[in-house]
Amino acid sequence: MDTQPGGCHNHGVPHMSASWARPARIAAAPIGLAIAVGAFLIAQGPGVFTTYAGRSGLAAGLTVAAGLGLVLAGLLASLTSRAGPAGDLAVLAGIVWFAPVWVGWQVGPPLVRSLGMLVAGFVFPLLFYLVLAFPGGRPPGGFTRALVWIVCLEAALAALGLALFRDPYLDPACWSNCTDNVFLVRSVPALARAVGATDRWFTAAAATALLTVCAWRLLARKRLARIVLLPVALPAMVFAAAICAHAVALYRMPLEDPGNPAFLFIFEIQAIAVILLAAGLAADAVTAVAHRRGVARIVANLGEAPAPGSLELALARALGDPELSIAYWLAAVQRYVDARGRPVAEPVATPGRLVTALVQQDTRVAVVSHTATLPELERELGPAIRLGLENERLQAEVLFQLGEVRASRARIVQTGDAERRRLERNLHDGAQQRLLALSYDIRLAHANAVAESDDQARLLLEHALADVQASLGELRELAHGIYPAILTEAGLGPALATLADSAAIPVELDDAVQNRHPEVAETAAYLMVAEAIEDAAGRGAGYAAVTAAYRDGYLTVTVEDDGRSRTSSMTAIADRVGALGGVLTVEPTWLGVEIPCG
Amino acid sequence: MRVVVADDIMLTREGIVRLLRDAGIDVVAQAEDAEALLREVRQALPDVAVVDIRMPPTHTDEGLAAAQAIRADHPEIGVLVLSQYVEPSYAMRLIQDHPERVGYLLKERVSDIATVVDALRRIVDGETVIDPTIVARLLGRRRRVDPLAGLTDREREVLGLVAEGMSNRAIAARLFVTERTVEAHVTQILLKLGLAESPDQHRRVLAVLTFLRA
Repeated sequence: MDTQPGGCHNHGVPHMSASWARPARIAAAPIGLAIAVGAFLIAQGPGVFTTYAGRSGLAAGLTVAAGLGLVLAGLLASLTSRAGPAGDLAVLAGIVWFAPVWVGWQVGPPLVRSLGMLVAGFVFPLLFYLVLAFPGGRPPGGFTRALVWIVCLEAALAALGLALFRDPYLDPACWSNCTDNVFLVRSVPALARAVGATDRWFTAAAATALLTVCAWRLLARKRLARIVLLPVALPAMVFAAAICAHAVALYRMPLEDPGNPAFLFIFEIQAIAVILLAAGLAADAVTAVAHRRGVARIVANLGEAPAPGSLELALARALGDPELSIAYWLAAVQRYVDARGRPVAEPVATPGRLVTALVQQDTRVAVVSHTATLPELERELGPAIRLGLENERLQAEVLFQLGEVRASRARIVQTGDAERRRLERNLHDGAQQRLLALSYDIRLAHANAVAESDDQARLLLEHALADVQASLGELRELAHGIYPAILTEAGLGPALATLADSAAIPVELDDAVQNRHPEVAETAAYLMVAEAIEDAAGRGAGYAAVTAAYRDGYLTVTVEDDGRSRTSSMTAIADRVGALGGVLTVEPTWLGVEIPCG
Repeated sequence: MRVVVADDIMLTREGIVRLLRDAGIDVVAQAEDAEALLREVRQALPDVAVVDIRMPPTHTDEGLAAAQAIRADHPEIGVLVLSQYVEPSYAMRLIQDHPERVGYLLKERVSDIATVVDALRRIVDGETVIDPTIVARLLGRRRRVDPLAGLTDREREVLGLVAEGMSNRAIAARLFVTERTVEAHVTQILLKLGLAESPDQHRRVLAVLTFLRA
């Protein structure tokens, strides 16, 4: 089930939105009750031998409870949620559940018994749909949808075949109704038998499929989704197993007899499973109501500039869904981000979890991945939350852009550092080597001049040599100032020690600077200390004390001095440290940086 | 004296070789990286290997590593590291494990060929050689409480020569005093600085450098 851009997920057509839907649903309650009472009376009287309900008080109680339970759960679901036809179909399943009892009404009108026969086969397809559609309200995915269609089609064909060609009077295996079929067009016993047998085995196969799908869903899902699925999936598996057992029992004893303990036991298990299934559906409907109220209670604190992610937290709390997540859509960069602006993958629906795209004025604002107990989340969100969502999306967009800018700043700093390093190397390997070679040549020429007693040349060459030596010294200091090679090779500690060797004021280093850290952090720390010492000397300090410590992924470096109060805000250091996501704290005679070493 | 010269830049390597040959040193082999250097040293077994600190592949401290390898494998062969860096920590790393028969000189010192030849002789004699620029920088380091304040000018001078790796005899020759006088100075200096007197003259270089850096 994918989200559709520009629309809410899979709810193209609102279900049963007509004005008669609500009265019809309310009417379903007394109708269901009447049918149940009727079934009970039939079971106690004329149907005592021709229905399972008639065999014992327990069987009667289970029959009534299962049918009414389905009606009740269906009403709860359809009146509280607008998600899909599941609620209405549960009501229908509850009513159809009583059909076999009405078929067994020995003295009843033939039309009623024939109708009962016609619809009785639809209990399984209806429950099949309800289980596969849980918890979203519609079967997820093409495979399950196809399964549902096949099962319904087969049930319809079987009902049609039996109605048109089965003469109960000529059916040797008849038990609940051996007299009436008002729909009979032509009696073809062999065809009717074949249709009956095919239907039984097909239903058993479909029940096996249901069992497999339920088991797979339970096993393949995460804990949270499993908790949502369990109340319906588990009874459904028992129900499916009972259907299969019934088919096997009929194969071994072709004449169905409710008085047979095996048949009765299978029926009771089936009824209990349906009761539990109805209870699961009802509980889910009630949970959905609670969640909806919770969502409605969320008030977006627009005036207070809520922290990023507070809406997600509020929704998660309201739905009792700790895994709920909101992904905001940034159309400009065509990607999803979380409330803090960090890129995230597009949320995808899984059984037990739904994905709802929230749309405002034809543009996607966000996609919420949430528990399936509230299938139509979008409709439940009030205008305040919608505003809050839009607000949070804008905030996420700004945070995302901030992240991009930050990354770009860090890249600029790193590129600059690499450039400094390259420059230093070029000076060493180029100009410095040439000057060295030149000084060697001058020395050789000097030796010649000495040998030839050419005093004028000797003096000139001595001057030249002194000049070259001075140039070499200056070049070395220049290269070191651009980038101290020892920082890369030996780390912050040795580099700072060298800095202290030639500093204008005494510099005290604590021992902890000896550890190695990521190069970019070491460079920032080194340049910060270098500038801080220069600054301290400029303010007449008598010394500077440097400490370095590494804790929780941060390199912390401080420089303290005893000079006059500083007036500069040390912008260059602040920019560099800020570009790495670090913090610079400036006090009159104290500087501190925290640089992330991630 | 037989030496092997290693430097990856031909221009400077050939300059060094010419100066050394001009000064009567027998350059028996040349190498342009650490691997070739170690091979040449194994084959030629020179008195000293003259090694540039920066060599391929990373151009960082290959020369130092090669120097330490030579000292470990061939105790009788000396190593003189030539460097562009006034970095006491490199020099200290060099003399850490094998303090005798090693030297750390700035590359520009080579044009003062007499100093280099002197350094090579000292290395062959088993001494340690530290570039005077490095020692001068360490002595000039600014300190809040200067432990050198209590030294006389002469004592400071002797301390500097000790840090350069000179033996008492060499210091005596340099200062035109007797070796006994130098010994007295050294004892006095070590006492004032609170350093233990070590019978091993090589160890005292590292001790003094470490003290000056602290």
